[in-house]
Amino acid sequence: MMRVAATGSGRAVWPLLAGIALLLAGLALAAGLPDWARRLPADWQVDAAGTLNSFFSWLSRKAHVGPLAVKDITRALGTAVELPLDLVRGLLAGGFRLRLGGMRLEMAPLPWWALTAVWTLAAHRISGRGGAALVLGSCLYFLLFGLWEPAMFTLASVALSVLVGAGLGLLLGAWAWRWPRLDAVLTVLYDIMQTLPVFSYLVPILLFFGFGPVAALIATVIYAMPPMARNTTLALRRLPQSVEDLATMTGCTPRQRQWLVLLPAARQGLLTGLNQVIMLSLSAVIIASIIGAGGLGNDVLQGLKSMRLGRAFEAGLGITLLAIVLDRMSRAYALHRPRHGRPGRPARLLLGTFGFLLLALLAGQFLPVLRDFPPALTVSTGKMLDDAVAWINLAWQGPIAALSDGTVRYLLRPLKELLLALPWLGVTAGAALLAAALQGPRLALVCAALLSLPALTGYWDQAMISLYLALVSTLIAMVLGLPVGLLAGQRPRLDRVVTAVIDTLQTLPTFVYLIPVVMLFGLGDFPAMMAIVLYALPPAIRYAKDGVARVPPKLIEAADMAGCTPRQRLWLVQVPQALPELMLGLNQTLLMAFGMLVITALVGTRGLEQEALVAVSKAKVGEGLIAGLGISVLSILADRLITAASQRLRQRLGQG
Amino acid sequence: MPPDRKTPPMTENGLIRCQNLWKVYGADVGALRGLTPDAARARIAASEGWLTALGDVTLEVARGEVFVIMGLSGSGKSTLVRCMTGLAAPTLGDLMIDGVNLRGIDPALLIEMRRHKISMVFQDFALLPHLNVRDNIAFPLRVQGIPRARREELADRLIQTVGLGGRATHFPKELSGGQQQRVGIARSLITEPEIWFLDEPFSALDPLIRDEMQGELLRLQASLQKTIVFITHDFDEAIRIADRIAIMHNGRVVQIDTPERLVLAPADDYVAAFTRKIPRARVLRVASVQAPASERAAGAPVSAAALVGDVAARVLASETPIPVADGAGRIVGSLDRRTVIETVFSGASA
Ligand SMILES: Nc1ncnc2c1ncn2[C@@H]1O[C@H](COP(=O)(O)OP(=O)(O)OP(=O)(O)O)[C@@H](O)[C@H]1O
Ligand SMILES: [Mg+2]
Repeated sequence: MMRVAATGSGRAVWPLLAGIALLLAGLALAAGLPDWARRLPADWQVDAAGTLNSFFSWLSRKAHVGPLAVKDITRALGTAVELPLDLVRGLLAGGFRLRLGGMRLEMAPLPWWALTAVWTLAAHRISGRGGAALVLGSCLYFLLFGLWEPAMFTLASVALSVLVGAGLGLLLGAWAWRWPRLDAVLTVLYDIMQTLPVFSYLVPILLFFGFGPVAALIATVIYAMPPMARNTTLALRRLPQSVEDLATMTGCTPRQRQWLVLLPAARQGLLTGLNQVIMLSLSAVIIASIIGAGGLGNDVLQGLKSMRLGRAFEAGLGITLLAIVLDRMSRAYALHRPRHGRPGRPARLLLGTFGFLLLALLAGQFLPVLRDFPPALTVSTGKMLDDAVAWINLAWQGPIAALSDGTVRYLLRPLKELLLALPWLGVTAGAALLAAALQGPRLALVCAALLSLPALTGYWDQAMISLYLALVSTLIAMVLGLPVGLLAGQRPRLDRVVTAVIDTLQTLPTFVYLIPVVMLFGLGDFPAMMAIVLYALPPAIRYAKDGVARVPPKLIEAADMAGCTPRQRLWLVQVPQALPELMLGLNQTLLMAFGMLVITALVGTRGLEQEALVAVSKAKVGEGLIAGLGISVLSILADRLITAASQRLRQRLGQG
Repeated sequence: MPPDRKTPPMTENGLIRCQNLWKVYGADVGALRGLTPDAARARIAASEGWLTALGDVTLEVARGEVFVIMGLSGSGKSTLVRCMTGLAAPTLGDLMIDGVNLRGIDPALLIEMRRHKISMVFQDFALLPHLNVRDNIAFPLRVQGIPRARREELADRLIQTVGLGGRATHFPKELSGGQQQRVGIARSLITEPEIWFLDEPFSALDPLIRDEMQGELLRLQASLQKTIVFITHDFDEAIRIADRIAIMHNGRVVQIDTPERLVLAPADDYVAAFTRKIPRARVLRVASVQAPASERAAGAPVSAAALVGDVAARVLASETPIPVADGAGRIVGSLDRRTVIETVFSGASA
């Protein structure tokens, strides 16, 4: 309490913030502002998109590396990826069609019962009965609802991209650990890769690899690899010096050092990275259905497009199950500590499994009974669900429309118009001033440079539209999430329920969130906002909850001894102490909002994300990249500013 | 009771020889390379912001010796040992192990040396979390490419030696601190090294286990005749195992001597203050405190090489002084009650 009262060094900040807000408003309203300060005229803008377009067209048509044409290299790379992908896909679902001379050979995939059995047993080994039940249930769901084949396609893509992504991440992470200078470069690159909308780099990938699963796989790897690399570097850095010394003192060769000592000792951190790669891969594979990745994502996409929402919902539920299963299994595996008495070398088990699958594969070739799941057993609630949705929309048309129209009229539209009315120069200068006040001239410069990008490239209006949607959704998520978090932080039982719910919400791929909102609210900014709010809610809740729960007990006791009521204690002690944590929560929420914003282009928003999506369908590399970079810029900017603010707060509270 | 102490070894032909060793931490210390020793020294003295972890250390460790390094935290003990093992490269000076200069040594030779000749026990154990006890102990052999059956056989034998029988398949997380350090010790012994470096190996252990491990170390040393370089904070530990002790202060070695000489003839006030708390009776030998042979002395003689503490009970129980005999049985002096009492209490009262 004492510390909270003593504001000290931070006091100078808030008047400055107020000043900046005034400045912004003044700039917006000042009539005398020259036109170029509102929007840069077209002939002042840089045609970055055009330049990029011609560069990429040169790269894809004419460029050579030594004697090799770039397009041949990418084609070879595509084939190299395609072979294993076809193999895994063929094995899990779809089978193979070979042509040998005049003969046509058809081969069935691994039968459903064999895969179900093997997975269930594996789940049992990894996470016990609960895990086994979950996996068995999910398999049955796919089978009964006729989703087996798309689910297996998705799984095949995920498996392969995880393999490539994790391997690549491991390599890059280890290099970055060894060469700090490389690390600095890679970190910036990852920041951009992770904030750049997937759609943006789909276009160049399409250009080189064409429409289809291979392009999708490459995009997925790019999207999912960074956390593996980051986690690898982090885990290696956290190893005690003595582990490295041990490697040296036992006379390890560099390779032994890497593979026998460092990486195994860092296992825990690596597996955390692997979990993230798996989840991001799933998310990306689903999104990549718009460039022909197929699988469950495609079912959702087709369902949404043709407004067969029941089908989309079933497939969405399938994705949800897949996500939960993958997350739970990889997490259980990561947490699994070696214990004595367990058979250390499961070589025999692996061999047995392999043999069983081989036999099953053979049996599937010759005995049709053993091949396919009996179609008579499959069901679909698609029609029923469609009817239910239609009924809900009809019966609740009034309230739904009122909610949606009201929000749009009184919140969304005014905010959007306000942001659009602001001059670019004012916003840029305001952000720079804010950065200067929070951290210093360096951050101010970065801010100004970053914000000029959309202004100079002529995407300012779209940037403001993206920003408005992200901001308003973040605001609502915080308003909804904070009270829940604050309550849960003080009530352990509530906490357990809330944690379970937000953990599950966080495993779901972005795409899944679109399904219910489209069902209820159709297309437009309002459903987009709802999807973003849902997606961004978990961190808002989590950080509030943890922030309050982590307030040192002695401060709570001091408050109690001073005779605070529980409400006073919350507002006077716990919330002020948890402020830095709440700021971090705000940061995460905003970043998640940007992450989801990108996907909402599919339900018809109008910002940068839409430009990126349109660029995919028109194969315009430059436009896609520049629009995507715009989103990247906005989210990096928000991240830096909020982090700086939170650091300031922390200093002020004496939390180091 | 400690085994018979060797006389301080001759300092010719040391197995480990440090010659004017400097280790300086700081930005661009690389600038020192190529300077003459004197110029470098002047440069180090003039530089602000550099940290001299080792300053001009010259010492030798003889074959078969137990060499203990003591000093306050941050005085450079670990740095010295890290230089001796080649884990850290000295900024200036030379380091010879058995006649081989570590500076500019062929990396392959260094690896070879670490695989067979030297080994190290770490303060924080440094066990590999993914390997069980047996595999951890056998790890150095795995690095050398020795077949699994052979290395497991050797590891199993060592598991018995360090008293971990029945825990071969346990993982480090499932062991207590003392057990983990035993694994670390067994692992460092499996290559049958000639020189054994131990950096505060027992400081994480409770007093009972520490005592037991010291005993084990002495037993091993007596049977295997290793050269041991041992870092510790603990005087009791040092005087129990050391042939010689090096006292470090701010990166410099202030004095290297037997425990007895450190007490009797401290090189400066720092060493004097440092050794004041040592119980005299546990380091001083009869020869150092005895009076000239006396007519009044009676009874069976005590050995001149014995520790005062070990003969105190007998002297105190006797009315008359007790004669002191040298190794050959000749009477060389006498010891009376008063001397013993003074010796026993002088350390404690200071
Ligand atoms: N890698 C390093 N970089 C910079 N300074 C270092 C490094 N390693 C050690 N030092 C510094 O060198 C000095 C000596 O450190 P050293 O670890 O040798 O001390 P020590 O005597 O072993 O202490 P302790 O008893 O705490 O283990 C310390 O001041 C330490 O901070
Ligand atoms: Mg040390």
